[in-house]
Amino acid sequence: MMEVCGSGIVNLREFGCEQSLLSRPDGSASFIQGDTSVLAGVYGPAEVKVSKEIYDRATLEVLIQPKVGLPGVKERSQEQSVRETCEASLLLSLHPRSSLTLVLQVLHDDGSLLSCCLNAACMALMDAGLPMSCLFCGVTCAIDTAGQIITDPTATQEKESRALMTFAIDSTEHRVMMSSTKGSFSVHELQQCIAVSQKASEKIFQFYRDSVRRRYSKTL
Amino acid sequence: MVSGLKEKVGEVLLPGDEFCFEAEDTISLTEQVKPEKVVCGPGLRRSGDRLLVCKSGVLRHKQPNTFWIDSQQRRYVPVKGESVVGIVTAKSGDVFKVDFGGSEQASLSYLAFEGATKRNRPNVQVGDLVFAQFLIANKDMEPELVCIDGSGRANGMGVLAGGGLLFRVSLGLVRRLLAPHSKIESDLKQLFPCELVVGMNGRVWVHSCSVQQTLIIANLLQSCDTMTAAQRRELFRRVQQGVL
Amino acid sequence: MKDTPLSNCERDFLLKAIEEKKRLDGRQTYDYRKLKITFGTDYGCCFVDLGKTRVMAQVSCELVAPKENRPNEGIMFFNIELSPMASPAFEQSRQSELSVKLNRQLERCLRNSKCIDTESLCVASGEKVWQIRTDVHVLNHDGNLMDAASIAAITALRHFRRPDVSIQGDEVTVYSPEERDPIPLSIYHMPITVSFSFFQQGTYLLVDPSEQEERVMDGLLIIAMNKHREICSIQSSGGIMLLKEQVMRCSKIASVKVSEITDLIEKALENDKTARKAGGRCGYAESITQERITALKMDETPVEVTDVKETASDIIQKAEPSPHKVPSLVVPVPGVGQVGQGLKNTWGLEEEDDDDEEEEEEEDTNDNGSAEQEEDLTVMEEEPHKTGESREANVVELSDSEEEEVIILHPETPDRTPKNTGSTSHQKGAAKSKKRQKK
Repeated sequence: MMEVCGSGIVNLREFGCEQSLLSRPDGSASFIQGDTSVLAGVYGPAEVKVSKEIYDRATLEVLIQPKVGLPGVKERSQEQSVRETCEASLLLSLHPRSSLTLVLQVLHDDGSLLSCCLNAACMALMDAGLPMSCLFCGVTCAIDTAGQIITDPTATQEKESRALMTFAIDSTEHRVMMSSTKGSFSVHELQQCIAVSQKASEKIFQFYRDSVRRRYSKTL
Repeated sequence: MVSGLKEKVGEVLLPGDEFCFEAEDTISLTEQVKPEKVVCGPGLRRSGDRLLVCKSGVLRHKQPNTFWIDSQQRRYVPVKGESVVGIVTAKSGDVFKVDFGGSEQASLSYLAFEGATKRNRPNVQVGDLVFAQFLIANKDMEPELVCIDGSGRANGMGVLAGGGLLFRVSLGLVRRLLAPHSKIESDLKQLFPCELVVGMNGRVWVHSCSVQQTLIIANLLQSCDTMTAAQRRELFRRVQQGVL
Repeated sequence: MKDTPLSNCERDFLLKAIEEKKRLDGRQTYDYRKLKITFGTDYGCCFVDLGKTRVMAQVSCELVAPKENRPNEGIMFFNIELSPMASPAFEQSRQSELSVKLNRQLERCLRNSKCIDTESLCVASGEKVWQIRTDVHVLNHDGNLMDAASIAAITALRHFRRPDVSIQGDEVTVYSPEERDPIPLSIYHMPITVSFSFFQQGTYLLVDPSEQEERVMDGLLIIAMNKHREICSIQSSGGIMLLKEQVMRCSKIASVKVSEITDLIEKALENDKTARKAGGRCGYAESITQERITALKMDETPVEVTDVKETASDIIQKAEPSPHKVPSLVVPVPGVGQVGQGLKNTWGLEEEDDDDEEEEEEEDTNDNGSAEQEEDLTVMEEEPHKTGESREANVVELSDSEEEEVIILHPETPDRTPKNTGSTSHQKGAAKSKKRQKK
């Protein structure tokens, strides 16, 4: 068995978040992890197109806008990962026959983009006041060639890694809601990465709580 | 659970936070225990024996056992009995279609005005503002508005005519404005005489004697959202001195 | 999604206020809203806030073959993306009238004014030139997108650095930023657009209209000008008649505004340059102000993961071992490989179908028997456990009533159930195997 995370401590880059920064959307947030930053805007529950109407729940649409050019296959697959995570945590049945639109704009990609998208999405959904059964956050783990686990890798660390995994983790039971992996790894490594992500998610959820508390500090 | 909830009143809660009912083993058999009833408002949901928070915001409490989450959302979701300011977008047959900022347009019958009959139709044009309350509002049905109360009286509702300005504020501010003994309202009263119509959907219509005063009131209210009470009073005082 | 409709009341009030020389946000007629320019982490990324309107521009470059009629010139490409985030009225991947108009206007302002030296972008004549692509993303629409987009685009172009290249014979080498310092574009002048909106058939004029004012206005005049007071493009839309004096007055106002904005851009670029030289961190992350209650930042956080290894091995140990039985390969006819049996084909002839209906179960077992035989012929390792599993796949086709029948007939079977399968399939599989044995 390869030695993984010998030091016993992994680092998350510094993160930041700003809520309600756009005037038009019903909810908006920007999330920053190191240099990676994503801006998210949510509209809804709003009028839905007849062709997309679902009779017993809201239609959720997720759009990821790349910085350069038009969205391609990579963005589509990320959109799907984010959408499935959001669908699992939102109580969509409370707003049948309406539409929710979540737009994510990549502002800078310096690694761990999908997890940053997930975090921005969660903050924006919370800011929009949509009913959710739990919160979720994204954590990216990379396993480098030496077998060390790196959380929240930068773009260069991602490039040098042997395997890359992104997990969406829920806030109530810290379960894995979505996983997206690249590269090869053993079952043991996968379990370790999940355990690391679950630990890291606690920090992120605490950050969510702190930023929401700060936001409501004037109306307490 | 009630004590658990009461401890958290005034604190910020996030979706996914939950409260459990207390274990039933403390109930004594000899004493008659009255079951406690908890009323859950917006942002709280019951799921089995737990109470789940589904919106982020501040937990509020009202005697005896009413709890809800006070959040700062912008999109309005209709609730039966609430009054809103809507914009008439279309006339179709017997009903007007009204946009109130929700997920669907509401219908407003032309008979739902004070004194309206089949012959005597109210004068409502597309683009007019109406102040109306929800007769039907649930997630599965088209919302329906009326401009009369139960006894057929207008009671302040109807078309908002005679100029004035419409602007948007957050739903949280609207609730603060409409709360009984609202501080903002009483502060505002001391500034200028004005007519203020506040819809629960975040739309506010204001009318005063001059364009200048209307603009001041609109800008003041929009900035109130992000101010503490002390900051607000200071601002209002400055406005009063500057204008008078 | 539809945009919120504009009520008559708002329209009347706006017009009345404009007549009294007042604007909703308290500005004077010729005032711009607060303009803020910030830069992203990498070169060529620029954010512009004009009041609540917010746009982002990103410049990128690529080596391409030049256009045939212009072998010595680099290619400029502009794109304004109206993201659905900016307004509920904007839709994904639909070319709206507004988007065409804005794109055309930006091209006229920046490409047709020849403000960028395209010849300096040529690497090898007729073979390789740089294509400079400017993407402008609208993030929040609160009016006057054109001015915000033009400021963002020209600032991003000024900020951009392209990689250095060298040519030796036919070989083109592109150097990374570490090897050689990247090169800025050569820009002759900076055209900036200034928008004027007209009300009451041109009687009243406002600079930098907000979204509400844009909805009420009768006409729009957009003047693109540089700080040398040269007009680069001028466009009037909305079909209002403007007098010569009005256009002259607008161009005078524009010249003042353009020189103000140019100064601001220069200052912002200068600030960014010194910040980058000082080696400090720059970019979007730094532009967030800590003073707001809506914003929060947290420093690098260590996560304790000492017991992770134990948890992981725990989970793995507790987990059921994955079945090591791999279904063997079946070769039904030469040249075809197959794993498992899959679902039965239902496209057979009528007679077979009739048979099916009458004694489906028997048919199934027969079928399996024959498959078994075939397998016996080809692969001798086939074992009953595996057949049980392949049976499951077949059973899916059966109707509910039949399943129940089977279970009721043989309630005492569970002792024969193979391990590591679902509970319902246990009974089914077991029932089947028993049946087969009976046969």
